[in-house]
Amino acid sequence: MSLTHCALARRWGYGRMERVKLLPSICVSLAALLLAGCGDSRSSADKAAEQGILIVGNNQEPLSLDPHKATAVADGKIIAALLEGLVRPDAKDETIIHPGMAERWEHNDRASEWTFYLREAQWSDGRPVTAHDFVYAYKRLLHPQFGGKYAEMLYPISGAEAFNKGELDWSQVGVKALDDRTLQLRLAGPTPHLLHLLLHFTWCPVPAHAVEAHGGMLDRRSLWSRVGNWVGNGAYVLESHHFNDYLFVAANPRYWRAAEVKNRGIRFLPIVNGYTETRMFADGKLHISNNVPPELLARTRLNSETYCQDPYYCTIFYRLNTTRKPLDDVRVRRALSLAIDRESLVNDVVRGAGRVASCFTPPGAGYDSSFTYAPREVQVELARKLLAEAGYPGGKGFPTIEIMTTSRDVQRIMAETIQSMWQKVLGIHAEIRACEWTAYKAAQQNGDYDVSSSSWSGDYLDPATFVELWRSGGGNNCTGWGCPDFDAALAEARSAWSAEARRAHLHRAENIMLGAQPIIPLYWSERTYLKDARVRGWYPLMLDNHPLDAVEVTP
Amino acid sequence: MIKLLLKRLGQGVLVIFVLQTITFFLVRLLPGNPFLGERKLPEHIMAQLNSLYGLDQSALVQYANYWKGILFCGDFGPSLVREGVQVADIIAQAFPVSFWLGVLGMGIAIVLGIPAGMMAAYFRNRWPDALFMLLAMAGICIPAFVIAPLFGLTLGLHVPGLSVAGWDDPLCAVLPALTLGLINAAYIARLTRGGMVEVLSADFIRTARAKGVRAGRLLFVHALRSGLLPAVSYLGPAFAALITGSFVVETCFQVPGMGLHFVNATTDRDYFLIQGLVFCYGVLIVIANLAVDLVLVALNPRLRSQGAA
Repeated sequence: MSLTHCALARRWGYGRMERVKLLPSICVSLAALLLAGCGDSRSSADKAAEQGILIVGNNQEPLSLDPHKATAVADGKIIAALLEGLVRPDAKDETIIHPGMAERWEHNDRASEWTFYLREAQWSDGRPVTAHDFVYAYKRLLHPQFGGKYAEMLYPISGAEAFNKGELDWSQVGVKALDDRTLQLRLAGPTPHLLHLLLHFTWCPVPAHAVEAHGGMLDRRSLWSRVGNWVGNGAYVLESHHFNDYLFVAANPRYWRAAEVKNRGIRFLPIVNGYTETRMFADGKLHISNNVPPELLARTRLNSETYCQDPYYCTIFYRLNTTRKPLDDVRVRRALSLAIDRESLVNDVVRGAGRVASCFTPPGAGYDSSFTYAPREVQVELARKLLAEAGYPGGKGFPTIEIMTTSRDVQRIMAETIQSMWQKVLGIHAEIRACEWTAYKAAQQNGDYDVSSSSWSGDYLDPATFVELWRSGGGNNCTGWGCPDFDAALAEARSAWSAEARRAHLHRAENIMLGAQPIIPLYWSERTYLKDARVRGWYPLMLDNHPLDAVEVTP
Repeated sequence: MIKLLLKRLGQGVLVIFVLQTITFFLVRLLPGNPFLGERKLPEHIMAQLNSLYGLDQSALVQYANYWKGILFCGDFGPSLVREGVQVADIIAQAFPVSFWLGVLGMGIAIVLGIPAGMMAAYFRNRWPDALFMLLAMAGICIPAFVIAPLFGLTLGLHVPGLSVAGWDDPLCAVLPALTLGLINAAYIARLTRGGMVEVLSADFIRTARAKGVRAGRLLFVHALRSGLLPAVSYLGPAFAALITGSFVVETCFQVPGMGLHFVNATTDRDYFLIQGLVFCYGVLIVIANLAVDLVLVALNPRLRSQGAA
């Protein structure tokens, strides 16, 4: 056989044979793979709705369900379904607070001594919930040997801070069980907003008997809050948990309001990626999503039946490191703030998912800033003037500063936008450093930055959760700024009896802080998410603490 | 043969030891620590947490304790971020998911990649060659974070039964496996083509043809055995990488596998979890490479004689 024949045979004869045999078999197997699941056209959300089960996007994998170890928002949402504190939130109006484990309560005139009378309620294992469980829980979170990361939430209790630092004996802390069903709280000062604080999961009781059975009060590795060991007093009990897959809680038949719970269970999906979550929603994989990324807003807004945009108790702002030159000069800080076009940030960067922040604390809870910005041209002119007064006319001689952000896209894009605004208006150059999350937190807490892209969401519905941040030397201040006048105003707010007087002092404190400008408020964030049209009983809430037992999904 | 096996196993143990040691010290050099929260912790609480998990001791003592835990108790330690969960529990939940997805992906890669490579080699410099190599090049160049959402939006949303993401149905595995499979099929096709082209022009193939051996037999019996060698060498590490999970594919399809844990553990500075996952990955790489060595010996007579010697 000649070589030519060989080549020809290769080209036609054998080749054709291979084509016939291989291609169809591949196609057939692929088609079989694709058609294999055509039997049932109902989506996961349909099937769950038929069973009365709600599927909710929960942003990230919960790190702990123990209310004394958890700190993340995602953990808090699950804990709120599993445990109930002295009071519980309203599904529609965040200013209304309902009795929870406490049937009723009373306090002295100064609102510094509160007595709570507990109802007859059971843990999910049938044991009674007593005032001693609350005392046990508070002692555990505050115990200096436990290392509770969120212990400061209980600092309003008299002596709590000192006990937490190991300087005081527990007997001197203001928590006492007068009997099985009466709990007394003695507070460090007047706290008219205590009921709002009590909604936070750190104030929930834990089942003392279950915690003791799994290693005891101070065992951080205790397994009491894991599947199989879980005991709770909330509307749901922990049923199953698969890491990065889902966590399922089923209605608790022993819950005191079991008859009023509107669904039979909730599946929490820890979907970090907003794009994946939005695709999953479109594919009928969940009833309520957590977040729609800005790039998808234009498209998702088209369907008004599913698109939701709610005000959120959260501020997006830039921290300025006031210990570094040239940011130690208040004129420079004010110039940087005035040079930013916040309208443009809200419209172009987050595509309308926010409101221009005229101050740091978002409006709400009876607190509203009357401040408004001057027209853009006036701001620009003032910014240039202030920078010139500080010794940098037209940005001349201004050193390069660095904007630190996390690796999230929206933060990076915002930093680029602000970088160009500063360049255009003030003629100064800023560089951008995008860090991954832990490196970012470490740099911010160590003061190793010039400008840090930050956000803060309130723990409870009260301006104090925002204003308190800036007290001198406070753990979350991180700007190096401190001012005795500000601290004094805060102290006055803390000792004010009436809610109005408190708000007035907080307002004054905030104005002092804004005048010194250790931060640049940018915008108040709004939550953008998708909700299945079959979901009932879900209303916009600023704190995003939805009592899920009031949410119903109809088939 | 046994000597080869023992030698490779010895090397494997050494590799894992070095890998663990480097990882141990490297992760501690990263800025931050596992207990950094969004809110700054008071110092007494940070100190309490550090002492609880032994992180207040010197690095060498921690290192010794770590090996003591593994060698004497088989304990990889607790997760530092997900307190109350053991590293072993996390791996036990995530590994089977990544394993089966990896096996499926590899199956798709082999079923598509090897025939495509063979056909391309067989029709060298003609249109099937150009077509398959174009597709393979596309598969190599287009990253998973483009392919995965595209599959989700096209197939996932519109083909009944398939899902865009999630892990609540057996068919949820189809699209992630297909994404993993196609990317690897592209590499395998190119490697197979390279190997086959070389073999098809070898003297022994020409002799076989001259003797009138039929095309199928020529291709599958005579040529494939040697032509597959480059692809087989690639398969080992690729398989190990596949079954330990891909972060991108797992994020895009919300798959609860190892890849997500790997990246999250690193960003969270969950030291023990990182160590555990690296250990797992190391062991799999060593096993996969060992298996590849054995297969290569079986396929290649020359290596067999070397091994025997």
